[in-house]
Amino acid sequence: MAGVLVDSAEASALGTAAGLRRRRYLALATGWVGFVAIWWLLSVWVNSDARLPSPGRVWDEVWIIFNGDPTNSRNDGGIFWNNFLASVIRVLLGFVVGVAMGTPLGFLMGRNRYWRSFLKSPVMIAGSIPGLTYAVMVLVVFGISFVGPVLAIGLISMPYIAINVAEGVGGVDKGLLNMSRSFGRSEKQMFRDVVVPSVLPFIFAGVRLSFSLAWKVGQLTEVFGASQGIGFQIRRNFQLFNMPAVIAWIGLFIIFMLVLERFVLVRIERKLFRWRQWEREG
Amino acid sequence: MTTLIQEVEPEPDSAIKRWLVSDRGATLSAAVLFLVMWQLLTLFAPRVPTPWAVVKIMWIEVTGGDYGSVRKGEFWNHYAATLQRYAYGLAIGFTAGVLVGALIGASNIARALISDTVLVLLALPAFVWAFLTTMWFGIGWQAPVLTVAFTAFPFVAVNVAQGVRAITPDLRHMSTAFGVTPVKRFRHLILAGITGYVFAGLRFAMIVSWNGVLLSEWFNGQVGVGFRTRYWFDANRYPGFLGWVISFIIFVVALDRLVLTKLQARAFRWRKTNDELDKDLLTTVG
Repeated sequence: MAGVLVDSAEASALGTAAGLRRRRYLALATGWVGFVAIWWLLSVWVNSDARLPSPGRVWDEVWIIFNGDPTNSRNDGGIFWNNFLASVIRVLLGFVVGVAMGTPLGFLMGRNRYWRSFLKSPVMIAGSIPGLTYAVMVLVVFGISFVGPVLAIGLISMPYIAINVAEGVGGVDKGLLNMSRSFGRSEKQMFRDVVVPSVLPFIFAGVRLSFSLAWKVGQLTEVFGASQGIGFQIRRNFQLFNMPAVIAWIGLFIIFMLVLERFVLVRIERKLFRWRQWEREG
Repeated sequence: MTTLIQEVEPEPDSAIKRWLVSDRGATLSAAVLFLVMWQLLTLFAPRVPTPWAVVKIMWIEVTGGDYGSVRKGEFWNHYAATLQRYAYGLAIGFTAGVLVGALIGASNIARALISDTVLVLLALPAFVWAFLTTMWFGIGWQAPVLTVAFTAFPFVAVNVAQGVRAITPDLRHMSTAFGVTPVKRFRHLILAGITGYVFAGLRFAMIVSWNGVLLSEWFNGQVGVGFRTRYWFDANRYPGFLGWVISFIIFVVALDRLVLTKLQARAFRWRKTNDELDKDLLTTVG
């Protein structure tokens, strides 16, 4: 079978799923090993820490970021968690702001034709505005502050949440609403027990879709004005011309973004959308 | 009473009212409301310039103001420089993206080997490339061009790979069985199948890398839209700063609405509606 394109579905039918999966992991591992090997070879060829430090040199820097610099007498025991938590808290609060702004807009758009055409252009424009704009505008309005990055993240995630909520509101089961009304439920009860549970997963889907963008813009606002955070550290080391530290922070930035996205957000989403899977299977 | 269930709205009787609730009227009302809110905001936030102050300073930037008959404003030089870099960067990123995307889409081994790397590139924000290229090449044209290329590349690659994989083996087998010539097969099966994806990738890449070129010029530049925006920002002259910000927002929105969406809608005309294309933009760029 080697060299022939096989879907995983076909493969399981052929009974070679385990072998195929093993081969895929092998290829993935080869990819990563190859990536590090090419990086290492390039760094040997370039032979300059200021241009391309070797993987080992960057690893030393990562060690220092986590554990502090042993050669420094004022060893602070690592600056990673402070900066990481500062960034994560900003992103989380930013999403609270984004949901607070995006959900009402989404409700309006999903419910009413006039508001849909009223809000469609602003929401789409807000979705294609360069992230630089938000980062710099909050710096102008608030200076170096805690509110600025949070608001920037809120603004950047707002259109995604609004569009998803609009879709969710459009998809609320009309039959269920009619039935609730026939059985004499109040508007408040219907809202709480029918509308909210069916829209909640869509709010979350908006959060997940905008997560990587919000994380990026959050770091960008830290680049422009902050005293803590991963973006701030990348900027600081850029200004110190400390290439190994720049690459180390970038690596940590990516790893944590992918970990948060893959393992935390995808899990929560699967849980929230579980009722829909049942619906589909049933 | 009926707040939860949407009712059919009665058609308004007068022509003005009907125009106001039409799609175009609603969009225009939104724009007017935005301007009014901006003007009101300047009353409370003294650092926010008024719309009129922005228009005045941009008029000078575009025409040269008092020197208008002698020389042009700053606007044109900076836009020319930025657009040139943007075009070169996109050309590099797009070509590399199509090649790598086709490879990932066509070969399972290539996909396993490099798709993770592409995902990592997708996760990298533009300012990271702006910093790295500045540290590598110093101040000059290389940093903005390569920042655009690096930010555009993964978006094109991912979309082209998706397009190639969407061409079903069934159709390929069938066209072989019925003896369709390779030229025809390429045109009607492969090209028709992936054009939409290529345009989609190009659209996302162009929107994302516009941010990249501006950022790169902000940190590294002596000319360019990003540089000029920073110039006014550093001078604490917010009307000029805001004017340039608005100009680059208008540029990217116009590019998307007037060119890219139309191209993509044409390439995808057999498959998707405009609203779906808009949703694609939000899901992919995010």
